[in-house]
Amino acid sequence: MANNSIELNVKMEVEKVQSKRKDWGLKWYVFLIPSFLGILLFMVYPVFESLRLSFYQSNGTVENYIGLANFKSVLTSNSFWNSVWNTFYIGIFQIMITIPLGFIFASLINSTKRGQNFFKVLYFLPNVTSIVAAAMIFAFVLHPEMGIVNYVLHAIGLPTPGWLSDPSTSKWAVIILAVWHWIGFVIIICLANLQAIPSEMYEAARIDGASGLQQWFFITIPNMAGTFAFLLITGWIGALQRFNEVYVLGGPNGSPARSIQTMGAFIYERGFTGFEFGIASAATYIMFILILVFTFINLKFSKMKI
Amino acid sequence: MKHIRKGISLSLILMLAVMIMLTGCSSSDTSGKADGKWAGKKIKVQMIGDFKDKTATDPITGKKVKGIDVLKEEFEKQHPGASVDFILMPWEGYTEKTQAMITSNEADVYQMPGLADFAPQGVLEPLQPYIDKDKEMDLDKFIDSQVDGWKVLGKDDDKLQIYGLPFLGDARFIAYDKKLFDDWGVDYLSDHPTMKEVAEKAKKMTGKNPKTGKQNYGIWFRGDWSSAFTLIDLAEGQNGKWGEGFAWKDVKFNFNSPEMKKGLDWLLDMKNYAPKGLVSNQGSEKWLTKDNNVAIMMNQGPGDTIKPTYAQGLEDRIGIAQEFKNKDGKGGLFAGSPLAIAKSSKNKDLAWEWIKFATDEFAQKYIFEEVGAIPAIKAAKTWKSTKEMPLMQPVFEAMRSPVTPRYPWGSSQPRFTLTSEIEAALTGKRTAQQALDKAQRESTAWVENRK
Repeated sequence: MANNSIELNVKMEVEKVQSKRKDWGLKWYVFLIPSFLGILLFMVYPVFESLRLSFYQSNGTVENYIGLANFKSVLTSNSFWNSVWNTFYIGIFQIMITIPLGFIFASLINSTKRGQNFFKVLYFLPNVTSIVAAAMIFAFVLHPEMGIVNYVLHAIGLPTPGWLSDPSTSKWAVIILAVWHWIGFVIIICLANLQAIPSEMYEAARIDGASGLQQWFFITIPNMAGTFAFLLITGWIGALQRFNEVYVLGGPNGSPARSIQTMGAFIYERGFTGFEFGIASAATYIMFILILVFTFINLKFSKMKI
Repeated sequence: MKHIRKGISLSLILMLAVMIMLTGCSSSDTSGKADGKWAGKKIKVQMIGDFKDKTATDPITGKKVKGIDVLKEEFEKQHPGASVDFILMPWEGYTEKTQAMITSNEADVYQMPGLADFAPQGVLEPLQPYIDKDKEMDLDKFIDSQVDGWKVLGKDDDKLQIYGLPFLGDARFIAYDKKLFDDWGVDYLSDHPTMKEVAEKAKKMTGKNPKTGKQNYGIWFRGDWSSAFTLIDLAEGQNGKWGEGFAWKDVKFNFNSPEMKKGLDWLLDMKNYAPKGLVSNQGSEKWLTKDNNVAIMMNQGPGDTIKPTYAQGLEDRIGIAQEFKNKDGKGGLFAGSPLAIAKSSKNKDLAWEWIKFATDEFAQKYIFEEVGAIPAIKAAKTWKSTKEMPLMQPVFEAMRSPVTPRYPWGSSQPRFTLTSEIEAALTGKRTAQQALDKAQRESTAWVENRK
């Protein structure tokens, strides 16, 4: 009887504490309100407002409903498809170069006994540099007459391209900048994965007589699949949203001759320099759909589970 | 214990609420001081450019310059009881910032270079009624063409109206380096040069400088951002025009006219006498330095020329000639910054007083002598400070003779279409005729969609 009473008391105390914790726990949601309001105001609302605007001819204040005309205008615009081409061209080459190169560098850094931290810092530094500042410096580095790149090319007897002043080379100027800026991040992510591969696997392979290259091909690379998929997806999303560096290097219309105008720059040009907010909103939604489709394809292709 | 926890949570919630109120809410108080003719009146003025709140060091000249509090003090002295506050912003992204401000009724007076884009939104107050009833405002005080240049169409207007009055002046001209002309033994540019004169002189001054042995270029022009305006001026110099109309329903482009074609051919020819990077705004880095290697600079503005020239001690080297003009003596881009009153302003009379004040000699002298911006009034020609800078006189002349009103497509899609096609021609992607035909086709299609 006494035991039952004690048990009942304990049970009641536990329920009391649990209920208090529950009450106390709910109160902490109050602290989420500011950030939640921020998300609602600056992310959720603009998403729906932009969708609404895409059906209007709007100069910011005066609006006329025009149905799907903005979408038709964007989808039939050569400039838009040119910006899609530029975005994909720069993005594909950036990813194709940076991920393999970053992985090779990460493997080399991982295999060195000394100076690992030095190399990590060295390669990661560009990634913490503002892309706007980096783009401005690259404009000097790739200056057709006074730039260090053309100086070196000239010194070794190679032709000196016009880089940003020539539509045939301007995209490559952006690719070089993008690779330089992103490679540090790729190296760090790859290194984290490399260091997580169990050493026993390499030990067993060595006992079986596998060479260093074989270990790299048959142990390292298969174990990196998840990281490659992650880099591929984040790289794609970043590449499709590219704006800052092309805006600094080529302005809103992607000079020269729209050769580096990306989808983001197209939206900026029509929205904020031309006051065509409806067109800009429609282009934003088309860009969103493109990113969605390609992310889906990437997920399927890389078999990454989310 | 329970009470303590409740107390803590209540005080935290209270603190949070106070924080949100403090950070999220700004004062919407429109009342000023208690005494005087303008008692209780307060305005907010948005200003764009190199204005400073307080006295600071100018990064170009190294001199101490007075802050905008000088204007505040004088305005409030002249208008007892009134109060003025400023919202200062840089030129970067001013269009979208202004749009955001005007949508949220943030200021009473705006410095608004994009007047032609904002007036059709119906967010600005027409100024003609204020001009008509105020004897103190004489439009003749402004340099010729400056008022006409800013006439635009409002939401329901069928003819051009005044929605803004000139505050900061601007102009486009041809600048040149007299030292390079001397080194090459070439006569300086005449005050009103022709395309032929500029081309001939540019060609003579390209190559190894006979005195210094260094590579010189005869000419430079920006092949990207402002190339559309450079080309339009070339057409104007041959009595051509960009087209006609102001409201989109009336606009007809003439981008592929024979004058435009000749102008673009001229630019293609001049490209051979210019540094390599002009399409990416490169190659003129040494301009306004002692090591300058470019003889003639097309389509220059006073903001980037006058103050740096005097700051570098290059005033004896730099000359200014006028851009190409048509048979009426008009040619070149009209530019600058007018002041406009927001329709939502609660103190429009005081806002008008600010416009009068800002376009009078006290404020105009301040913007020239302290900020280094260009005044927009005739009286400025006779100031001691402008006379001490002889380069200002051809700038005033250039301000007097641009094509007005401002090109209605100057910040719209046709400008970017034309610019991109000029770039395509300059980089060999298309011939001059193909590029201009494409610009004409696309701009016409764009404007048809706006009708």
